[in-house]
Amino acid sequence: MINTANGMISQSSSSANAQSPGLKTYFKTPEGRYKLYYEKTYPSGLLHYAHGKTVTQATLAHLKDKPAPSTPPAPPSSFSASSGVRSAAARLLGAGNGSRALGFGGGNGGSKSLSGSSRMGSLGASSSSTSLTNTNFDGKGTYIIFNVGDAIFISDLNSQDKDPIKSIHFSNSNPVCHAFDQDAKDGHDLLIGLNSGDVYSVSLRQQLQDVGKKLVGAQHYNKDGSVNNSRCTSVAWVPGGDGAFVVAHADGNLYVYEKSKDGAGDSSFPVIKDQTQFSVAHARYSKSNPIARWHICQSAINSIAFSTDGAYLATVGRDGYLRVFDYSKEQLICGGKSYYGALLCCAWSMDGKYILTGGEDDLVQVWSMEDRKVVAWGEGHNSWVSGVAFDSYWSSPNSDGTGETVMYRFGSVGQDTRLLLWDLEMDEIVVPLRRGPPGGSPTFSTGSQSAHWDNVCPVGTLQPAPSMRDVPKLSPLVAHRVHTEPLSGLIFTQESVLTVCREGHIKIWMRPGVAENQSGNSETVLSTSSKDKSLLSSKVGSSSYRQ
Amino acid sequence: MGAAGSKLEKALGDQFPEGERYFGLENFGNTCYCNSVLQALYFCVPFREQLLDYYSSNKNIGDAEENLLTCLADLFTQISSQKKKTGVIAPKRFVQRLKKQNELFRSYMHQDAHEFLNFLLNELVDILEKEAEASKSDPESLSPSEKTANGPANGQANGVRKEPLVTWVHKNFQGILTNETKCLRCETVTARDETFFDLSLDIEQNSSITSCLKNFSSTETLNAEDKFFCDKCCSLQEAQKRMKIKKPPHILVIHLKRFKYIEQLGRYKKLSYRVVFPLELKLSNTVEDADIEYSLFAVVVHVGSGPNHGHYVSLVKSHNHWLFFDDENVEMIDESAVQTFFGSAQEYSSNTDHGYILFYESIGASNKS
Repeated sequence: MINTANGMISQSSSSANAQSPGLKTYFKTPEGRYKLYYEKTYPSGLLHYAHGKTVTQATLAHLKDKPAPSTPPAPPSSFSASSGVRSAAARLLGAGNGSRALGFGGGNGGSKSLSGSSRMGSLGASSSSTSLTNTNFDGKGTYIIFNVGDAIFISDLNSQDKDPIKSIHFSNSNPVCHAFDQDAKDGHDLLIGLNSGDVYSVSLRQQLQDVGKKLVGAQHYNKDGSVNNSRCTSVAWVPGGDGAFVVAHADGNLYVYEKSKDGAGDSSFPVIKDQTQFSVAHARYSKSNPIARWHICQSAINSIAFSTDGAYLATVGRDGYLRVFDYSKEQLICGGKSYYGALLCCAWSMDGKYILTGGEDDLVQVWSMEDRKVVAWGEGHNSWVSGVAFDSYWSSPNSDGTGETVMYRFGSVGQDTRLLLWDLEMDEIVVPLRRGPPGGSPTFSTGSQSAHWDNVCPVGTLQPAPSMRDVPKLSPLVAHRVHTEPLSGLIFTQESVLTVCREGHIKIWMRPGVAENQSGNSETVLSTSSKDKSLLSSKVGSSSYRQ
Repeated sequence: MGAAGSKLEKALGDQFPEGERYFGLENFGNTCYCNSVLQALYFCVPFREQLLDYYSSNKNIGDAEENLLTCLADLFTQISSQKKKTGVIAPKRFVQRLKKQNELFRSYMHQDAHEFLNFLLNELVDILEKEAEASKSDPESLSPSEKTANGPANGQANGVRKEPLVTWVHKNFQGILTNETKCLRCETVTARDETFFDLSLDIEQNSSITSCLKNFSSTETLNAEDKFFCDKCCSLQEAQKRMKIKKPPHILVIHLKRFKYIEQLGRYKKLSYRVVFPLELKLSNTVEDADIEYSLFAVVVHVGSGPNHGHYVSLVKSHNHWLFFDDENVEMIDESAVQTFFGSAQEYSSNTDHGYILFYESIGASNKS
């Protein structure tokens, strides 16, 4: 009880005014200042005893125009065409958001009519309002979905309201992970995994249209842990998987489901013969859901991530191993051990060439798919690394086609309450290590030189932990204390960086000069894992440095 | 108590490790500091085995004088030879002996578990050294104490003279730090070695043990008032100083300095900082790039908001299960529960259970020791 009271006090004091003592509201990068724009959190009255036992995760969801009459029907046959339409719509929307954001400084009179979501907010807040469904609500916009205690909260990313516009409470168990399908053509697009192992899929739009505090129109999988009763740790939609999704559990198993099937069929799986070996079992009946079980390891899978094209699935876990699977072939491709301790998070580069991991050795690890090994360790966090992400919206200042500098920007957050930004330049990393012929080409090529570093590891094997001296080190570009609580995640959007702390506070940091170059970028979709973007940027990315 | 015991047995079921005993220790009025450390030491398997070996090879001279070593060996034997698998034992003789030996621990006041551990290990070493000394001066009475002094694993090291005696306590816990000082004028590096049984680390809010270890070994510049006397320059000079681990111990004991003297207050204050500790750890501040891996097997936890009162409990890993020892109570806990003892990310919190002493054992093919 005391805990709750204290939690609320500290929460309200730290989030009521952005300027928590000792925390700056901006940080500097070579491109300019990132400014704290606004914060999102849960309503303080809703704190529960269970709070603190779960870690807040955040998912970004971009809802397009209602697929009803207003939108011109996209040609269903051609994917690329439809994605073009989508990103065009998003560009318009993005500009709208930006101007609205600017307008807030003076007074939000003009923007009111624009934001259907703020109307929604007032509806949700007044609990006295009757059970009318908001039929006017078109639902388009960008939302942050985050879990705190026994609830899922949904906030409008582009409104300044600190409070969420929607809360969904779970009576049986706490929600701990979620995922949104940017490309869902119809039906359910939001997955929610619970501490009990249960999983729900719902339509986000439907939740926003409903004024209640319960999940509506949900499909329930692994009911009461019938398939697996260990905690859900991570859920993900299979990119381009036509409604297929995977759920990772704390016992080292991962299940593949299809949202089109209900979970009625018998979905028992054979006993795992060798607990130490990776194995995949398929459901015996075609009606079964889940349709497959992947036994990955004997301890918790902490996080999973699909490459943007859906070809590969990366998992990290308690045993400290990163594992990369060919998803359709159900094969282990490569992987390796952390320096020490569990790995907690992972993320792919948009072009699928690198995987970032973070963990209990305080290191940010850069894994190369080409080399199938660790190519760099980022040193700079003073505690465990709990979130990593590539900044797919960032473009290198000298990416003018010279091809000399391969550059990526990525970010990491840790339990040290800090956000770190890093530049990854493969040339700089590889050259000092390579004791090859002097004057050799500085380009990054495979399997040429002599050093042991150039040996490519065989497919399907896991690498042991490298020793400290063998891995090149990176230093952060920026290290900024962003919250008072340990952090749990970060998300890059076109306009901003979102930092999320374990206790359910989210801060939105605007990129430098975001107002001016609103339309300067070709990638506009406000999301992390949109496929439209992936296709675009993977092309852009590769052409810019693969000479 | 009996019910708790059977509950633990039920929880473990047929997974109850063969030959293992899980016994709570009775509290004789603020002796939890002692109980928590004793449990950690009992589940430090190499230490326990060597102590029991020592005890069995010294049984025949049973009427030898009682000391802390014999009392500890007695207690461990008593636990390990219980018929029942779980229950409660009163460490009466040990606590009496401890109070007799050291007036610090005589009162009923709240005591510091780290001070106790330190005192106990040094006391054990003293006793073993004295015994070795005695057997050397009296060559007639050979084997038992001689053998134990050198450790059962290393019987032939007799001929070594004047070398500091390496007892089995040393072999488990002792590491060597080297204090490197580099004169900034002549650039001469002076290295001074010192031994340790545990590392006491300064802690920071929202940090990790890895980071605290890094700070421990970070380079410090000696200047202004605090210059270094360089033997080569024969004068006070600015210098750079750093501590490195020259020989990592087999059992790495890390003490978090949670009790800090606050000058303004004129008293000690407990730092409830959140300091995360991984279940596996490597030391990177070593002289050689050894990359020795350690695995966490025990945590002594201080419960309470201040330094002068509170409670001690311990978490222990035994045969891949985590157990929670709170004086006479023993419970099984999930590995993930260990993280509830990291500390508080905010100053005022109702969570007052904080990891205080961490016990790591080196794993894998350890080349030395």
